Amino acid sequence: MLVKAPQNRLDPPAIVPDSWTLVEEGPARPGLIAPFEAWLESPDGAGVWVAGDAEVEEVEAHLSEAPVIAVRFPAFADGRGLTFGKLLRTRYGYDGELRAFGEIVPDLTEYMVRCGFDAFVLANRRQAEAAIACIQRMSDHYQGSVRQPLPPYRRVAEQP
Amino acid sequence: MYQYTAFDQRFVEERVQQYRDQTRRFLGGELSDEAFQQLRLRNGLYIQRLAPMLRIAVPYGTLTATQLRALAAIARDFDKGYGHLSTRQNMQINWPELEAVPDILARLAEVQMHCIQTSGSCIRNVTTDQFAGVAADETVDARPYCEIIRQWSTYHPEFDWLPRKFKIAVNGARTDRAATHVHDIGIQIRLGEDGTPRFDFLVGGGLGRTPVVGKLIREGLAEKDLLTYLEAILRVYNRYGRRDNKYKARIKILVRALTPEKFRELVDAEWENLRDGPTQLPGSEVIRIRDHFKAPPYEKLPDEGALLASQRLRNPAFNAWMQHNVSPHIRPGYAIVTLSTKATGVPPGDVTDEQMDAVAAWSERFGFGEIRISHEQNLVLPDVPQRELTTLFDLACNEMLGQANAGLLTDVVCCPGGDFCALANAKSIPIAEAIQRRFDDYDYLHDLGPIDLNISGCMNACGHHHVGHIGILGVDKRGEEFYQVSIGGNQADDASLGQILGPAFSRAEIPSVIERILDVFVERRDDGEIFLQTVRRIGVEPFKQRVYSDAPAVRVRSSRPKTVATRIRSAGTSPVSRARKTARAG
Ligand code: SF4
Repeated sequence: MLVKAPQNRLDPPAIVPDSWTLVEEGPARPGLIAPFEAWLESPDGAGVWVAGDAEVEEVEAHLSEAPVIAVRFPAFADGRGLTFGKLLRTRYGYDGELRAFGEIVPDLTEYMVRCGFDAFVLANRRQAEAAIACIQRMSDHYQGSVRQPLPPYRRVAEQP
Repeated sequence: MYQYTAFDQRFVEERVQQYRDQTRRFLGGELSDEAFQQLRLRNGLYIQRLAPMLRIAVPYGTLTATQLRALAAIARDFDKGYGHLSTRQNMQINWPELEAVPDILARLAEVQMHCIQTSGSCIRNVTTDQFAGVAADETVDARPYCEIIRQWSTYHPEFDWLPRKFKIAVNGARTDRAATHVHDIGIQIRLGEDGTPRFDFLVGGGLGRTPVVGKLIREGLAEKDLLTYLEAILRVYNRYGRRDNKYKARIKILVRALTPEKFRELVDAEWENLRDGPTQLPGSEVIRIRDHFKAPPYEKLPDEGALLASQRLRNPAFNAWMQHNVSPHIRPGYAIVTLSTKATGVPPGDVTDEQMDAVAAWSERFGFGEIRISHEQNLVLPDVPQRELTTLFDLACNEMLGQANAGLLTDVVCCPGGDFCALANAKSIPIAEAIQRRFDDYDYLHDLGPIDLNISGCMNACGHHHVGHIGILGVDKRGEEFYQVSIGGNQADDASLGQILGPAFSRAEIPSVIERILDVFVERRDDGEIFLQTVRRIGVEPFKQRVYSDAPAVRVRSSRPKTVATRIRSAGTSPVSRARKTARAG
């Protein structure tokens, strides 16, 4: 079940049909999200997935053209994918779909949104609905995020 | 003291709602045990051996009277009438019902408190010197920076799912009362040559299975760079800290594996990308936060040196208390008072609801309604007028908070151990009590001078045994409780880790072992030397020989009269302790 939470904040998060199919092994074809090596060989029309502990510096140069990048969270409490997403968005300027899959507990999606993810693969409808509620629960945070880079203490000061 | 803004208040209230929803989903079978465990830990709830334990955050150990009264009420309503002060300046209560925790969090939110990130693999409550803001030896008040770090680390989007727990301590005084050398990050603040605060970063210190003293990786960082530099360290750790083995997951293991030089290079490279970024700390924000920590309306008081001297002459018990529990204040006519929770027979750090209410009242009568918790598990009143000290001393004695033992052998730092903690190898509280019973002669204790005695029930070292001048660690030997003894540890400026004497002892042997260690010290000490200095000078060998020899221990007794000891013993049967015993049995 796919939930999208657009980074532009205009559209609320929602369950949407998934037009991609993730495959564990290559080759890559249009409409598939394929592993990094397979995708490198035939990237046309395909998405790519990487492990959350991938070295972002080693893959980012290739990824900028991908329509969708999926990051695998191998375990619920593993925060490496958060740093990966954050760097890909803020340092390397990726602006396609950034999707989280793997062990995704709804409560974690809220952190992921703040680190630049905008699509989440949840186990079922109930989990997907819980994720939508989680994403919307907190009205603000002490830190900046990918969509609102300034933390609260710099927003007031720097607005004209 | 920091007062919540509308932003802070809304934030904790939304977090309570969030946790209420998580609890509901868990009880309704929507959240797995594993997922809920991680979420409840981030709200301070452990499931312990006997019942749940809730750890309440006391940011950098600072409380108002209102907050302490709220804690007393929570201890009364949800625990058996007492709370436990932890070695990280927090308060723990036992036996809360899992279903009741959202209500407890809501009660805490009413007084600007929470349990956020008091456990779990995330950035924990930042700690500092319990005397921050009032200590005579302070260079920079650490509290505003602690609050800035608290806010920055609260529910951080990127750093709440780390390989392991992460502890930050900050110190701004000449004496390091915050144990910055044994934290994941220790920050020392001092004034630079240009008069601005400068930050030195120690990284990778810590206790636990692999005790290490932190390595200095950055000196003289400017204030505006404080948070970006922290982000750089946390990012390197989040990416490269080990996640395959929880015993190798702390940052100290990463720093050692990479070498401090290489680790520093990685951090610096990351920081180059971050330093001019959005997290940079503007001076205006520091001013906004610092405003909350302005000095209270102190009176112009004369120094009462002469009055105190005559009071001390007349009352030896007061004299001892003055010597050990009263510290110099930054303002004339005021003093800082440490109220020791270490009465014999009471688990170190335990305070009853009545004691909390009493301390809250004293903080208003003899101060500005502020209380501190020290990581030695004592309570501190930061602004007591010197002329009120005798009155406070008498009141404190009646509540069993007047023990004149701050910093002495019986001021034992001790984790909850096998009586409460599911991870324990051995009990720790009975060891503390046995030692306090054996060494009940105040003059002897006083004559021994400062000795930090720390006890942990297992390798996790919550009792900080590695940095005790004497450290005791509970170990399991084929299902039986044994205790390993080390000496020579120290948590202050010249931090060091204790050396293990040899094979572990049974519980019954421990008081005699301590006695023998002290005998060697008393025989071999030079004039004016404290225990730690003697150990450092003569090494552990003489202690080892004595402890493992067959000769009986001979206690070198002092000949002064025992006034204070009598007082403390009689305090042992006060209504407070009786009430406590009933509460415990219930
Ligand atoms: S040191 Fe071990 S026994 Fe003591 S509180 Fe920590 S985990 Fe529990």
